[in-house]
Amino acid sequence: MKQTPQEQQIAARMAPGVLSREGFLDGDRRALAEIIDTDRSAVESAGLTGEQLADGLEAVLKAAMAAMGREVAVGGWTARYREAMGRIPCPWGGCGVFPKGEVEMTQPTGGGVLRFTPLSVHLIRRHSFYQGRGTRYRLEPLVLARALGMI
Amino acid sequence: MALATLVVAGFCTAFAALLVVAERYLLNYGQCKITVNEGARRLDVKGGSTLLASLMGEGIFIPSACGGKGTCAYCKVKVLDGGGPVVPTEEPLLTPQELADNVRISCQVKVRNDISVAIPEELFNVREYTATVERIRDLTYDIKELRLKLIDPPEISFTPGQYVQLQAPPYGDNPDSVYRAYSISSPPSDESHVELIIRLVPGGICTTWVFTVLKEGMEVKFNGPHGRFRLTASDRAMVWIAGGSGMAPFWCMVRHLREKNIARACRYFFGAVAQRDLFLTGELAGLSKELGWFQFIPALSGKDQSQWSGERGLITEVVDRHVPCPDSAEAYLCGSPGMIDASIKVLQAKGFGEKDIYFDKFA
Repeated sequence: MKQTPQEQQIAARMAPGVLSREGFLDGDRRALAEIIDTDRSAVESAGLTGEQLADGLEAVLKAAMAAMGREVAVGGWTARYREAMGRIPCPWGGCGVFPKGEVEMTQPTGGGVLRFTPLSVHLIRRHSFYQGRGTRYRLEPLVLARALGMI
Repeated sequence: MALATLVVAGFCTAFAALLVVAERYLLNYGQCKITVNEGARRLDVKGGSTLLASLMGEGIFIPSACGGKGTCAYCKVKVLDGGGPVVPTEEPLLTPQELADNVRISCQVKVRNDISVAIPEELFNVREYTATVERIRDLTYDIKELRLKLIDPPEISFTPGQYVQLQAPPYGDNPDSVYRAYSISSPPSDESHVELIIRLVPGGICTTWVFTVLKEGMEVKFNGPHGRFRLTASDRAMVWIAGGSGMAPFWCMVRHLREKNIARACRYFFGAVAQRDLFLTGELAGLSKELGWFQFIPALSGKDQSQWSGERGLITEVVDRHVPCPDSAEAYLCGSPGMIDASIKVLQAKGFGEKDIYFDKFA
């Protein structure tokens, strides 16, 4: 898929070592628009919107941040916020900067693990971007929807 | 239709690339003059670079987290004249008030002609330092202390609470140098050294470099000092609240107060989840015994801390239990935004005024 100059610029900011060590795409060779379109279709096929998923994720983020490092129960999962110094900008640019801490959601029974950051919430809400396959913060939309109890 | 779109997109890309190449190699803006603070400094620079790079090249270090990529919005500078129109990449990063005040994102402003800027006086004192890593010490499983011996310049002067920007050079897949901010944890009296307390950030460029590449004896660069987080000159009692690497400025401050014989009543609350997250507790407990005015109160919030005989609960709960009405006290906070916001609520409920609470969010 051909990328516009703007998409090329955003994808360049997502490369390893630009904004974060591992970047936002890892080995995902698909064009940025293709990654976004594929995930958006998956969300829509489940009868959901990115806004709903972002709302659910933000609720987990707020509960975990308020617990200041302690685990909190979220449905059948537990969530823990790990603080980190510094802020990271959105690769689209112009959306502000976000705390670098991360939330780790674990499923005690199934062994599932989801990781996301405050920036992840923004990327889903504003840009329908769930990050490239293989990255630390990749959120498979349907896995996320199940974890949040939406499907 | 699709073919036509492709052709137009391809043409636009090629044209944009041509413009970039032409600007870089063909245009010559000659020498330009940057007037700083109405003539306090006059800099002659080669035109064509960004304002941020031009100022850094002349030894004026504007804080920047993204390395000039126009995304972090830290490198704001007031441009009084000659900055040209605000470019589209700047607009979303500036508030309407900042736009009205001629504040610009200095990494997005090209120096194409003479330009006049206003920057905080304190940035004139910021220098770039070369140092060697004298010691790396594990404070916890994910926190290290770096002790840096200054080479050039050989000494630094700073106020407790200030920070430096450490440069991580290109390594591995990371093609560019990046700068990250860390509070100085050593006291100012040790002018030939700087100590930093650094917690590993998952996926962090600089902290991964510190944890996996940096070794004792290696040379590093940093610039500083930066920041306005500092103790007031009053003799009011103090409440300090920190977590994680938020320890750094307070570890500096308590040793500075001790050296200067400044006996300001101080209660230092340090929050962690488990005992493995605590560090420097022996040293701080020792200071608590030695100094009549200082009390260190570590607290653990995790569930399974059966061996722990100290305070338990979230640090905000511990502060709520131990801090009386403020009378004339001040509070100083350093840590994650969540901890700081929650602490401010507790302190304000106790009667601390907004102006009596000073904080340094992990930002």
